[in-house]
Amino acid sequence: MEDYLKTGGYENISRAFDLKPADIIDEVKMSGLKGRGGAGFPTAMKWSFASADPKFPKYLICNADEAEPGTFKDKVLIEKNPHLLIEGMILSAYALKAEYGYIYLRGEYYNAKEILEKAIKEAYENNFLGDDILKSNIKFHISLYVGAGAYICGEETALLDSIEGKRGQPRSKPPFPVNVGAWGMPTIVNNVETLANIPHIMRVGGKVYSEIGNPESPGPKLYSVSGCVRKPGLYELDMGVTLREIIYDYAGGTSNGRYLKAVIPGGVSAPVLPGDKIDCIMDYTSLSKAGSMLGSAAVIAMDDSVCMVKVALRIMKFFEHESCGKCTPCREGTVWLRKILERIEQGNGRKEDMNLLSEISMNISGKSFCALGDGAAGALLGMLRHFRDEFEEHIEEENCKFES
Amino acid sequence: MITLTINSEEVRLEEPVSILEAAGSAGIKIPTLCNHELLKPFGGCRLCVVDVERMPKLVNSCSINAADGMIVKTESEEISRVRRSMLEFLLINHPLDCAYCDKAGECELQDAVMQYGPPSGRFMEEKRKVPESHEDPVLARNMERCIVCSRCVRMCDEVQGASAIGMINRGGRTVVEPFSSKSFDCEYCGNCLTACPVGSILSRQYMHNYRPWQMDSRTKTVCAYCGVGCSFVTQVRDEAIVRVAPEAGLGLNNGLLCSKGMFGFDFTTSARRIKKPLIRKNGNLVESTWDEALDFVALRLKEIKDERGGDAIAGIASSRCTNEENYIFQKFLRMVCGSNNIDSISRTGYAAAQKYFENLLGQGISANIISGLKNSETILVLGGDPTAVNPVLGISIRAAAGKGAHVVVIGHAPGLDRFSEIVISPPDFREAELIEALLIDIYGVKGKRSENNIMDRSISELSEGISGKIDINGYNELREILLNSSSISIVLGMDLVQRSDGHRSLFALAGLTYLLEARLYLLSERPNEQGLIDSGCVPDMLPGGRLLSIPDFRRRYENAWGGPVPELEGRTLMEIIEAAGNKEIRAIYVMGDNPVYNLPDSQYVRKSLGSLDLLVVQDIFLSETAELADVVLPARGWSEKTGTYTNLERRIQLLRKVVNVSYGKDDWKIISDISSKMGYEMDYTDAEGIMEELARVSPLYRNLTYSEIAEKENLWPYYGEPLRGELKELPPLTRDSNDFGDDLYLAIERPLFHSGSLSNSSSALLKISPEPMIKIGPSHAGRLNISDGDMVSVSTDRGSLDMKICIDKTLKGNILLMSNNYKGKGVCQLLCYNLDHITKAPGIEGCKVSIRKMTYEFEGQV
Amino acid sequence: MFNDGILKEIEEIRDKYPDRKSALIPSLYIAQREYGWLSNEALRLVADNLNLPEATVRATASFYSLFKNKPTGRHLIQLCTNVSCMILGSEKLKDFLGSKYGLEPGGTTADGRFSLLIVECIGACDGAPSMLVNEDSYDELTEQNIDVILGKYR
Ligand SMILES: Cc1cc2nc3c(=O)[nH]c(=O)nc-3n(C[C@H](O)[C@H](O)[C@H](O)COP(=O)(O)O)c2cc1C
Ligand code: SF4
Ligand code: FES
Repeated sequence: MEDYLKTGGYENISRAFDLKPADIIDEVKMSGLKGRGGAGFPTAMKWSFASADPKFPKYLICNADEAEPGTFKDKVLIEKNPHLLIEGMILSAYALKAEYGYIYLRGEYYNAKEILEKAIKEAYENNFLGDDILKSNIKFHISLYVGAGAYICGEETALLDSIEGKRGQPRSKPPFPVNVGAWGMPTIVNNVETLANIPHIMRVGGKVYSEIGNPESPGPKLYSVSGCVRKPGLYELDMGVTLREIIYDYAGGTSNGRYLKAVIPGGVSAPVLPGDKIDCIMDYTSLSKAGSMLGSAAVIAMDDSVCMVKVALRIMKFFEHESCGKCTPCREGTVWLRKILERIEQGNGRKEDMNLLSEISMNISGKSFCALGDGAAGALLGMLRHFRDEFEEHIEEENCKFES
Repeated sequence: MITLTINSEEVRLEEPVSILEAAGSAGIKIPTLCNHELLKPFGGCRLCVVDVERMPKLVNSCSINAADGMIVKTESEEISRVRRSMLEFLLINHPLDCAYCDKAGECELQDAVMQYGPPSGRFMEEKRKVPESHEDPVLARNMERCIVCSRCVRMCDEVQGASAIGMINRGGRTVVEPFSSKSFDCEYCGNCLTACPVGSILSRQYMHNYRPWQMDSRTKTVCAYCGVGCSFVTQVRDEAIVRVAPEAGLGLNNGLLCSKGMFGFDFTTSARRIKKPLIRKNGNLVESTWDEALDFVALRLKEIKDERGGDAIAGIASSRCTNEENYIFQKFLRMVCGSNNIDSISRTGYAAAQKYFENLLGQGISANIISGLKNSETILVLGGDPTAVNPVLGISIRAAAGKGAHVVVIGHAPGLDRFSEIVISPPDFREAELIEALLIDIYGVKGKRSENNIMDRSISELSEGISGKIDINGYNELREILLNSSSISIVLGMDLVQRSDGHRSLFALAGLTYLLEARLYLLSERPNEQGLIDSGCVPDMLPGGRLLSIPDFRRRYENAWGGPVPELEGRTLMEIIEAAGNKEIRAIYVMGDNPVYNLPDSQYVRKSLGSLDLLVVQDIFLSETAELADVVLPARGWSEKTGTYTNLERRIQLLRKVVNVSYGKDDWKIISDISSKMGYEMDYTDAEGIMEELARVSPLYRNLTYSEIAEKENLWPYYGEPLRGELKELPPLTRDSNDFGDDLYLAIERPLFHSGSLSNSSSALLKISPEPMIKIGPSHAGRLNISDGDMVSVSTDRGSLDMKICIDKTLKGNILLMSNNYKGKGVCQLLCYNLDHITKAPGIEGCKVSIRKMTYEFEGQV
Repeated sequence: MFNDGILKEIEEIRDKYPDRKSALIPSLYIAQREYGWLSNEALRLVADNLNLPEATVRATASFYSLFKNKPTGRHLIQLCTNVSCMILGSEKLKDFLGSKYGLEPGGTTADGRFSLLIVECIGACDGAPSMLVNEDSYDELTEQNIDVILGKYR
């Protein structure tokens, strides 16, 4: 707490409270901030939809369910600087006229839980939270809601069902959460990193912020880097940075100088890129041009010791395990794909399997109820696109030549 | 006004509905699996996808609303491809055991595959294996066939409100299970069964002997059990009902049923049916011919009438018989036997209450539509559990609660626990004081409704004796709710009528109904309690509720029936029994009921009936009463005859003959034959002919015909006009209410799974609920250190019975509950009664009971 | 039956949300804390306390992988085998736990000391391979340091 206050923490609050809520939304609009949860949706736009809705109360929910494999940015952010998030939520809540905020924290983040609980307590003690924040008779409360182990609950509508005590299955949209969200009321769901950007924007102003890094999507971005690199870790960089720079200039290249075979740029839901196609800029548009997506900006590097079929299989196991089971294509399709991949990896593949794999993926892609299914299909299609020969080899030689 | 184009057809909508419904309204069919007309859209199966212009991908037509200007395509190469692949996905784990599956032929998956499905499968892996579960007495679960549409679970949740099953696990491992994962232990409405599009939830009742296309006939008819009168289609093979199926859009139950309706139909084929007339010869009932039996009855009735006069003869009619049968019955007693001693078991509840309310507030005061409950702002429930007595009415109350209505329960209604805002528990048997106080309290605020109305006068009289304040949990909230609601429904169960001061509660409720302009609903345990009254089976009224005491009315019927109608007002049920006891009545004709079993103080009832010169019983079973009879005449059961029932809303509905049997005769036929033998010609050829006469003579049924009843809803009063306004001055109310100490008292349980002598001949219902139980609250159980399932002997001053005890968390006060359903073990055997001197209903309050835990000692062992 | 302390705890959680059903998942956590796993008895307690239908409570509990439907050992090992950990050898560690401690995925040691769960990414990829023992997280695992780490849990 002390440290945070020393560095000017919470100073924004009193300043912000002098502004009209709408002014804050304008600042954020000017900043050009895009959501950091994966979809990259302009934050200010989501906010203005919510504040346009006449219904009250409104709820602000911080999505801290971070479960996209390869991703650990929200966890580190919370563990290192919980008050930044809390201040971000206070400012956002004021802008949105929300009096209650909830942090949906991933159940496995035990350490982050303790740190957040402590930080929230401190914030109350210092009257940054409560019924009358800093005697401004502005009210805002934050409670921590701990998830119980379901990746799908990161999807905002599934998160809403989960916080309402139900099975976390996505809701059909429309209506959107900004109009009919938690307990039927207008609800804004934002990612941890998104909210943590708000204090910064309020400090330097939207204009200045918008000039940071990449005009297309400005602001600093957290990249989780893992896999076969020398210096795995969390890096805060401008969104102008390229994938190659991240891997070689920051993460120090492959661990033992081996050949970089493949990179997943945005968590396992993002289609893989071959090791020689990594000069694209790490923002939303450039990556989709490159046939992948920024997703959660989790970079997983794989060198030539790694079997792509095995990776594909492991990814499919993940989606199979996490599919909520609501919609047909994702529920049945992930099971089917996993079974085929398992056979191929064990050396029992059949020639027809190659087409079958891509046809099944195509039948899931765009047909599933939410983006989990799309992620599963996209990940496999990416593998098939760039590493087809490796799959065919498994089938022809009826085994996996990589030692596991 | 929304206008959109679907398949280049213009569709106009009043209010926004889903694209699926919009298409449906234009006669365009879109395939679905997870969608169900009674459920909220779910959007999981993805079969209903359609193409909407300017939308990036195909959308779910079930969950997306039609919007103005939309351009929709419901069929295209791409759409069929998607549907085909969804079906391929569903089939990878679906066993292809259609040859063996009960659902084959009416399976929605099968149909969809026929239309869109892949010609062959590409799934080479091992299918999911889940053994079929038979751990439930009546339902089977086959989770290999489940397509995870969750229709069953949503039906149980959203509609039935029982929430007894759930989706367990997630993703490809999702299965449907009850809490125990074994037996369902639920309300057994069977609506999950109806909702399942495939063969995953099955009835064990007809398992592996049902094929839709092998049924000889499918007939629409009405349920035999309660006063709601649900409709369903009976599916018959070899002159036996194999299955009944409710249908969306059919009847007031619109696709829903309760356990009795769904599973209880098999009572008619019970081995306990009697098939030949019986006559008592030197002490024993022996089979005889119809001629012998009918001649004997005709002769004896004539003798008794000639010796003692008609007043020595009485008839007990039946709320399980049709309007036509009851009409003929009362006509026979009045015109042939010359007696107005006509009543029925309904006197113990519905008839007593209905009559009292109509005297005060006018005929038809309780004629309200069940679906109206859904739109009430406040629902006050007293004297019983609607979800058990009239289950399908009960779920309308749950639905209302779901829509935000205030549901307030006075007394014990466990089925509404999760749905009621307030539950008020008055001291045992002292509800009357509470309701009177409430009335006076409200009167104090609202004041008179009109100057010279008898209600206003009587209420102000009452207010002199009563403060209108009472200190009891929830009372004030209730008062506020009632004062601030604009549409109030009052739902009354019969527990409150069965008090020796029952009329006090009834008056107070009449007052509330009047002051608050509330809708009044009377719960009715039997299918034709209202029809029974309307067709004249009451001692003081002719058909159509016309008072005997008014000469004009009498004359109208004398002209129609060609003979004198006895003037002397008849006796009510319990008075008839008493008169039999002291020899004033010498002959009783019982049609389709079982007073010995169904009336309190059975020993006494048995004795009285035993002392008669003539007891004639007409029934489908050899009931406890029939065993005492001099003559027993085998009648036709519910599924074997045609006629009409009038439900508690006063909806008149057709009961259709669905099977042909060689034995027994229609009740009306038996009586007409006897009548003719006694010199009063009755030459009816069928029930329809009787309805023609009834519609001619009864001002309520004017011009009503079977074809009309079959075509449209026929809600009371049809074309006829009711008698409005107050008919009688109010008899004085009892004031003093006796205090009940700390003893335990016995009261009647009206369970969900049983209904008297019908259900205990239904093998399915007996599987669900096999044996009698006495229910006790946890505190008393603790005090007496009794645990669930112990064998106890239950004793009152009327006798003692052994049975299992069951601890009921919801039971308060000093009341023990026992039902009146199982052969040889009915609560009535143990109850004594005091007549309510106004309603003439037997009050059963304050019957002390003691229970003793049984310990088995094995004697003669060393 | 829940003791008054717990009832109060749940009561406080309830007050944080507009609808009592939102207290369900927190209550399930509490029940699991008290009883070690969610038996039907435990689920029934939660249902009664929140006045929710038992089947609904079980349906919700069964959806979430952190709720246990069977008892586990004294210490729970959650080993991540997702991509980042897998490519850095977590599967070898799985086999090691099998051979050294007789721990099969989903299983428990004979002495009831450890249970092993193979889990999805636990957000510790920068220190892969990683695992959680109870609520403590451990990174850069090797067969050697696993022995040392597990040694701390008796
Ligand atoms: C399967 C799935 C998982 C997701 N998981 C997360 C997550 O763990 N954290 C998160 O912030 N957003 C997640 N999202 C995105 C959320 O739905 C939502 O877009 C995001 O929380 C919005 O926050 P933002 O506008 O700040 O990006 C997920 C989406 C899907 C489809
Ligand atoms: S795609 Fe369908 S099944 Fe998969 S997680 Fe989303 S809604 Fe559930
Ligand atoms: S009917 Fe629309 S998705 Fe199932």
